[in-house]
Amino acid sequence: MSQFSSVQVPKAETIAIQLTAPNQVKLSGTITQKDPAQDLAGFFKALHTAALADKLSEVRADVSGLTFVNSSAIRLFVDWATWVKNERGQRYTLRFVTSRNVTWQKTSFMALMSLAKEVLALEHVT
Amino acid sequence: MSTYDRNPSTPSSSSRLAVAASSGAPSRPGEGAVLSGRTLLRVICTAGSGALEYTHAFVTAYTADHLRGAVAQRLSVGAYELLSNALNFGSVSSDIVIELIESESFVGVRVANDAIAARISMLTEHLLKLKTNAEQTFLEELRRSVTGGIPRPMLGLARVSHEVGLTLDLQVQDRRVSVTAQCRR
Repeated sequence: MSQFSSVQVPKAETIAIQLTAPNQVKLSGTITQKDPAQDLAGFFKALHTAALADKLSEVRADVSGLTFVNSSAIRLFVDWATWVKNERGQRYTLRFVTSRNVTWQKTSFMALMSLAKEVLALEHVT
Repeated sequence: MSTYDRNPSTPSSSSRLAVAASSGAPSRPGEGAVLSGRTLLRVICTAGSGALEYTHAFVTAYTADHLRGAVAQRLSVGAYELLSNALNFGSVSSDIVIELIESESFVGVRVANDAIAARISMLTEHLLKLKTNAEQTFLEELRRSVTGGIPRPMLGLARVSHEVGLTLDLQVQDRRVSVTAQCRR
């Protein structure tokens, strides 16, 4: 079993998290808590570490079902992209799957892309 | 369309600053004007309380039921970020009021709170920066974003202005600050 698939998924009130493939995590719901890092920062870091250990070439983070996130949550995605970008050895592409129908996702992920385009990819679904 | 009634970097007894949603975009009639009209909802929050999440959930549910989907999504972001800033940076000695207001052509969310002069200056500077270049400011704030750091009001405001394209309007009356984020209905 891959390390990625074995990462412990945190329980959070407003967000559903699933590991749907050996390289894919799906998040849906909303992130409104004041400090989402408490639930999610460690989880994202564990996924990152596991992806490196599994020597994955790509990790898919499907956020298309995240209808609202606060700015603290956006920081978490910035962090994840930064970890990948700063990786010295073999690194993976972090592909965010976003929805065209969710307003906040359009601009935020385009901006994030411009900050770390060498390690990020975007995929749009309806 | 943006309006400065006084030197915006100097808090005064009464001042106003409007930040258009899209930097450099041609303004449309009515955009940037003070939003006045029917108050659809008004919630009073105690400063320093944990009102953010449930108040936002209520505002989001209300806007989703009363407004077009895209407009409701934009106002949801505006309501959260403005209320979050008020709860984080406002004075604890007075209530915070969040309102949803609609006029014939516009709809917006307004958050009012008391703040010390230094906070008002900072807020005014933030809005001036957004007015100059919302996209660049949004990118800068993303770059500076690190978890575990001190919460900064700027990313939230940049989201409101750039990410969801709401026009921000700041009104200051003595220590009372009102920030409105509005768009066409």
